[in-house]
Amino acid sequence: MQFVQNFPFITIILSLFSGPLCSILGGKKAKRINQAVICIVMVMSCAVLAFVMQSGTSYVYMMGHFPAPWGNEIRVGVLEAFMAVFFCIIMLLCMMGGVYEREQKLEDTKQNLYYVLVNLLLSSLLALIYTNDLFTAYVFVEINTISACGLIMIKQNGRTLEAATRYMIMSLLGSGLLLLGICFIYDLTGHLLMSNIQEQVRILAQTGMYHMPLLVSVGLICVGLAIKSALFPFHSWLPDAYGYSTVSSAAILSSLVSKGYVFLLVKIFFRVIGFDIVCDSKIMNILFVFGIAGMIMGSVSAIQENNIRRMIAYSSVAQIGYIYMGFGLGNTAGVIASLYHILSHAATKALLFVAASGITDASDNHTDFFKLTGAGYRNKLAGIAFTAGSLSMIGIPMFCGFISKLLFAQAGMDNTYKMLPTLIALAISTILNAVYFMKTVIRIYTPVSRKEIQKNGYQNISIKEQPVKSVALILFIILNLILGLCSEPIVAALQSGLGMFA
Amino acid sequence: MNSWILIPVFLPVISGIFLLMAAFRKHPENVQISAGERHRLHLIVGTVLLISAVLAVAAVWTGEKSLTLFYLMEEIPIYFHIDGISRIFVTFTSIVWVCAGSYGFIYIQHEGKETGFFGFFLLVYGVVIALDFSGNLVTLYFFYELMTLTSAPMVLHHGSKGAMIGTLKYLFYSLCGAYMGLFGIFFLYRYCDTLTFTSGGTLNLTAAQDHRTILLIAVFVMLVGFGAKAGMFPLHSWLPAAHPVAPSPISAVFSGILVKGGVLATIRTVYYIVGPDFIRGTWVQTAWIILTLLTIFMGSMMAYREPVLKRRLAYSTVSQVSYILFGLALLNPTGMTGALLHTVFHALIKATLFLSAGVFILEGDKSRVDELTGIGKRMPKTLWCYTFASLALIGIPPASGFISKWYLAQGALQGVQQAKFGVFRWLGPIVLLISALLTAGYLLPVTMKGFLPGKDPRYQQGTPGDEEPPGFMLVPMAILAALTFIFGIFPNPLTKYIVQLVSGLM
Repeated sequence: MQFVQNFPFITIILSLFSGPLCSILGGKKAKRINQAVICIVMVMSCAVLAFVMQSGTSYVYMMGHFPAPWGNEIRVGVLEAFMAVFFCIIMLLCMMGGVYEREQKLEDTKQNLYYVLVNLLLSSLLALIYTNDLFTAYVFVEINTISACGLIMIKQNGRTLEAATRYMIMSLLGSGLLLLGICFIYDLTGHLLMSNIQEQVRILAQTGMYHMPLLVSVGLICVGLAIKSALFPFHSWLPDAYGYSTVSSAAILSSLVSKGYVFLLVKIFFRVIGFDIVCDSKIMNILFVFGIAGMIMGSVSAIQENNIRRMIAYSSVAQIGYIYMGFGLGNTAGVIASLYHILSHAATKALLFVAASGITDASDNHTDFFKLTGAGYRNKLAGIAFTAGSLSMIGIPMFCGFISKLLFAQAGMDNTYKMLPTLIALAISTILNAVYFMKTVIRIYTPVSRKEIQKNGYQNISIKEQPVKSVALILFIILNLILGLCSEPIVAALQSGLGMFA
Repeated sequence: MNSWILIPVFLPVISGIFLLMAAFRKHPENVQISAGERHRLHLIVGTVLLISAVLAVAAVWTGEKSLTLFYLMEEIPIYFHIDGISRIFVTFTSIVWVCAGSYGFIYIQHEGKETGFFGFFLLVYGVVIALDFSGNLVTLYFFYELMTLTSAPMVLHHGSKGAMIGTLKYLFYSLCGAYMGLFGIFFLYRYCDTLTFTSGGTLNLTAAQDHRTILLIAVFVMLVGFGAKAGMFPLHSWLPAAHPVAPSPISAVFSGILVKGGVLATIRTVYYIVGPDFIRGTWVQTAWIILTLLTIFMGSMMAYREPVLKRRLAYSTVSQVSYILFGLALLNPTGMTGALLHTVFHALIKATLFLSAGVFILEGDKSRVDELTGIGKRMPKTLWCYTFASLALIGIPPASGFISKWYLAQGALQGVQQAKFGVFRWLGPIVLLISALLTAGYLLPVTMKGFLPGKDPRYQQGTPGDEEPPGFMLVPMAILAALTFIFGIFPNPLTKYIVQLVSGLM
């Protein structure tokens, strides 16, 4: 065994223990530690990715060298390592994008707590990605939920407290259903390790025994994770949670936390139950229908919204809908498209949240749509970044949103019955996206007279004024373009990763 | 090495982006620029535009070339290929663009935000050339979307509420149309051997046989979608909203060139990917012909009733571009020849008309038709340009419009062989005729009242010719107006070329 193979475990433990470490340090030091941890985890994950790419197979890492039925396992393939690297990049950029807001708006005593939560969140995400044990997954789902809750309400005002409570209730409901599902599966198969469960599930499926309980447990897991990742109609907690929390929190929540659950669901489909068995049960059709409903309804709500942050939040509902629609297609191409959409949505939505914060900064902290007029001229980089993000969301070629839509459409073509609904839903949702994003872009580029600027006390924000945020925005745009223009190797990596996933 | 054909695409794009950055840096402190800066700006824009136009025309007239830029996805390259169709489109695009640019030097001084304006002006030129060069359907779609996006800010130039609504409408309709196109591309990607443009189509007929219905629906959706850009009913209403609010040089290139992007996409889809044989005689052809005839008639009617000159011209574009689509929908060589001829002629004519309308707005502050009484006494040269172009659009020999309409009518008469299409044999030419009458009805009153105001109380006596625009505006208009007649008197080289091109397609 090579030393690199220890890295996944080390990254989880490192980020887990750096959390408590941050709690005894001051804000500045905690920030440094947090950044360092994310960077180290990123480098280590890169090494793991290189290793797995080279070896071409996934490997199992046993904790404490206890063999299968008792011990806890980590399993690492290309997909897992790739996701870990990507999540680290996004998280780092999100933290960079929100650094000024955190320093200005959070109380001094709470500065370090933020980093505690972020470190815990990172560790739980990594664990969700790597773990090969269903119950460990559940434990880290809970850690994830709790730290996300903290991130929502760290800026304490009435809105965020309410949002956090709502999130808590909905999320715990989701966790409860997930736990029930896991219990059922444990009851049916007698295992908690994913690979062992799959063997047993195969036997059950072949003999046709316990068909109903198995179906129910898969259904429970799907619903549980759907609630947690805000699939329509379980999205009511989302706009408040994303709309009023700090920028980094909103960006991380929308681009990483919900995606962690989605990734867990993919894992359960492929590694626990077996994708063919899941497809045979009609669960996929239900996911498909709700995915499409989410795509449309999320965008409709976003069009009606006058608060820019909440508008972006509603757009997340639509994008989660895309991902579930991809699963619902019931073929690997659909899952590849969904995985790609996880990447592209993470890169774009985080960009939009950070850019929107730049825009509202230049509009005297108003989030109201009509106060944003001309903000693209007052904060130029944020304006450009928001435009780039919007174009990506709409799915203009060159940006990553286009590629994921292309993949969805191609995957849709492989499924005779779902082909038309997929294409029509894609078309409608794209146009709806265009309506609210282009409306906003035109609004921020509509000039206002200088008198009005002075009257409202708007300030110009130059690129150099907030260097870290500017760098984050530029990197986000570059990431978007890379995903949009060089999608080929990434899709190939996702495919090979999914191949060694099961 | 063919990589030099990238110069006419990237030179204007890059210099456009530089100008935009310069404009963006200064905004909003410094909207007006000094005379020296303006001089420099004109020099840069003029040089870039001329070099790129010359190179673009040189690129298309020196034989077929192809170039793969990069791969968007596996098997989907961004790929340029220059063929006969690109030759026609690039040539008239460049002529109109250079003329409109020269006109814009003076015109935009009165509107402000010059640097930004010319930034977008160059940027869009590069994108349009790339659109004409594109060699497969995905590349075409790519630049089609870019064209929409980069041209939208030009409509927004004034920043007024009307401009905003016009821009939003333009964006919404165009994106809607583009996505309908994309919807079809997904299907074609599956059932075609390749998405590279090939004369006669690449549709795999054996694979397509089982899915005929769905493919026909997809093709129809594409036609309607690309028709949005070309102002075809039912997605035409962005044209009258966007044109009056845009500055006149922009209206000219919108009506003359950008609208033709939809025509180009339609030609590429029908004649180079799907193949005319696949839709000949199906309900798609019927529905397409009905839509175009409806648009021709409706556009002319609306133009006839419209009091604002620029909006009247916009409705006229709606009607005239559907002439082109009608010719394409006939799916026979004569109709297609007429369509291509009309594409070229309409670009020249409509550019002239919009440029002269701009002069009336700028020098006389007149935007409504009834305010133009007696304008010919004050700006005789401009009104003469307008009149020549009007005559050409109506189709009075020897002006150019006559030639193209002749071919269109011929195509309609001989073309639709199937028994059930018999009705279009006489309906088509009749609609063309009525529309030509209406065209005369909405264009010529300006000339008549302009030169012969009579005792109209709205006409104020002015010294003849004292408000004529400067040469930079007048000469481009005169060139374009002259071209519309030269092509009418000596149509043979162009007609021969197009007939030869079309015979290779069908």
